[in-house]
Amino acid sequence: MPKVRPVATDSLIAARGIVKSFQIADRTLEVLHGVDLDVKRGELVALMGASGAGKSTLIQVMGLLDRPTSGKVLLDGSDAWELPLAERAALRNRAIGFVFQFYHLLPELNAVENVLLPAMIGNSWSGYKQRAKEFKDRARGMLVKFGLEQRLDHRPAQLSGGERQRVAIARALFLDPKMIIADEPTGNLDSATGERVLELLLTEQHERGVSLLLVTHDERLAAHCQRIVRMEDGRVV
Amino acid sequence: MYKYFLSWRYMRARRTNLIGVVGIGVGVGALIMILSIMTGFLEETKKSLRGGLSDIILETDQRMFRDGRRVPHSPAPLLEAVRADPRVAGACAQLSWFGMLTQGGSRSAYATEQLADPQKGNLSGVRLFGIDVQDEYQTTELRAALARTPLLGDERVADLDDPFAPPEGYVPDGRPLASCLVGEQLASEWRLRRGSEIWITTALIDAKSGEVHPSDRRFVVAGTFRSGENEMDLQRIYLARAELSDFLGTGREYSQVLVRLKDYERDGTDVQLDFQSTLTQQGLVPRPEFVRTWEDYRRPLLGAIENERVLMAIMLSLVVVVAAFTVFAILSMMVTEKRRDIGILSALGATGPGITGLFVLIGFWDTLLGATGGAILGVLGAVYIDPFERGLSHTIGVEIFNRKVYLFDHIPAIVNPVWVGVIVLGAFVIALLFALVPAWKAGRLHPLDALRYE
Ligand SMILES: Nc1ncnc2c1ncn2[C@@H]1O[C@H](COP(=O)(O)OP(=O)(O)O)[C@@H](O)[C@H]1O
Ligand SMILES: [Mg+2]
Repeated sequence: MPKVRPVATDSLIAARGIVKSFQIADRTLEVLHGVDLDVKRGELVALMGASGAGKSTLIQVMGLLDRPTSGKVLLDGSDAWELPLAERAALRNRAIGFVFQFYHLLPELNAVENVLLPAMIGNSWSGYKQRAKEFKDRARGMLVKFGLEQRLDHRPAQLSGGERQRVAIARALFLDPKMIIADEPTGNLDSATGERVLELLLTEQHERGVSLLLVTHDERLAAHCQRIVRMEDGRVV
Repeated sequence: MYKYFLSWRYMRARRTNLIGVVGIGVGVGALIMILSIMTGFLEETKKSLRGGLSDIILETDQRMFRDGRRVPHSPAPLLEAVRADPRVAGACAQLSWFGMLTQGGSRSAYATEQLADPQKGNLSGVRLFGIDVQDEYQTTELRAALARTPLLGDERVADLDDPFAPPEGYVPDGRPLASCLVGEQLASEWRLRRGSEIWITTALIDAKSGEVHPSDRRFVVAGTFRSGENEMDLQRIYLARAELSDFLGTGREYSQVLVRLKDYERDGTDVQLDFQSTLTQQGLVPRPEFVRTWEDYRRPLLGAIENERVLMAIMLSLVVVVAAFTVFAILSMMVTEKRRDIGILSALGATGPGITGLFVLIGFWDTLLGATGGAILGVLGAVYIDPFERGLSHTIGVEIFNRKVYLFDHIPAIVNPVWVGVIVLGAFVIALLFALVPAWKAGRLHPLDALRYE
């Protein structure tokens, strides 16, 4: 039995002994071999490593999107994967914000509506109705601040990659989560655009004091981060 | 709250949903429209089945009471007793007997010859009805049957208020003949016109000796009637009651009394029960079972009509099932198409049941729009079928609905609000059941599998 590393008091999220294996036909492929990772409140952590190292798999487990084969994800002290489905969904809704490489906006909704989506999901009909105006103003305000003043009513298909990612960032931040998980948010953008998007993300992280777990290949960027975690073949090195 | 918002947005954004809406709409609309028109036709048929009858029939058959008494010879006491009831709108006495219509100009000897060799044909078994015209008018549909436009030729009576008046231009050779009214099919078969003379042969059985005594008499046709019911139009001959009584010569003045009620639907069974006890006690009707409603008379046919309607409804319900199936197909397509969205929604905090709800709601909107639109169109279609058909017939120059064939000059449609409700509700239940399957699958999608879908 390996010793479980103690969880620091200022830790927001702590992964302990995460093992994740995939069943492919009759073969079992173990992708994560017992990973520990802590992110403190307000901390900016860069997660680096070669392609296929298991970065995405790890953050999906920590982001409560994919159940680990074994191990725990401690969020505010309790094991998130032991919670009932609805509570875990609520944590995804309020405590964590995702930014994906491929933006993942809903094509039928315009920019403002996409940003409002977490509020729509997290609230009942009446609860949302009561605060609809407040929500809308906030969503518009964020998009304006992100330089999308002229794009509020545009559908994702009418936006550039950089603009889409700004909308996605606004969406991730909308309910003031404790943590943002961003998986190669600039991976699909040209370097100039990517840089500006990252700048925006880092500024927001700093202003809001939200934790940010950022998967990136950019060594220059990583240098700005408080901590760099490197992964290799499903292990933190 | 996203379920309502997104389901509605997907509804509007995805044109394929229109197919589901239209499918359900057409199904529900057609079901309502056809059922309403069917009901209209069946009700008209029912009315024609009732036509020659009235609401309640009191038979005063020659059969004796159990204690050997007999009913009075005259219908007056029974009519009086019946009319005294405030729920009764009218009553009439009828004398009915069987007879044979033998070729014009023949005699009973000829009829006997005909009977001996059925291959020779030219003999019609008929029902002779002796009636009091004004009483009859108040009680049965005879007046309407006399006034109705005939299908075959036009030999209607000259004066509705006095149908037994000798036909105009009738010049009797000898003693003037009594008039009779003949069903139009019988008249057509025998090529009878106003003023034609017919021989009617009948036979009476002597109660004591058991011997059969044939007798015959000539009558003149005063006109034809069209009740719309085959049996009546093919077999019935009306005579004045006194005339028939005289012809039969038994002293019997009536064989049944027909009663029309002010509100049959409301009072029918009550009056039947009351009459069964009072009239038998007063010795006016031999036995309680001789007090019958017209529905008792027509039970088997009415049962068949009801069956027909139920069968029709079942078959048409399949249309709605097919429509609901399009909802199933559309939703299945949409779940596949929207895999990525489903993943995004779970990442943002939606639960599996929530996603299921989202897709069920899409099915719900489809059904709501389809069923409501279909119900409105179906009801409008049923109500305005007649002018619509006229317009269409006029435009394409082909008569779709031949008004002459039916008893009614318009296409009848009866819209029953209860059925409309049941049909709409049924469409909802079926469509939502079908929607549940793809929606449930959507809710079980793994968020990451859905997200990886690039
Ligand atoms: N659903 C899956 N089924 C099978 N293998 C997977 C699955 N997801 C990831 N993998 C494998 O796990 C390894 C790590 O993948 P990933 O976490 O995406 O790496 P990274 O994000 O660091 O590039 C890869 O070898 C990949 O092929
Ligand atoms: Mg990756």
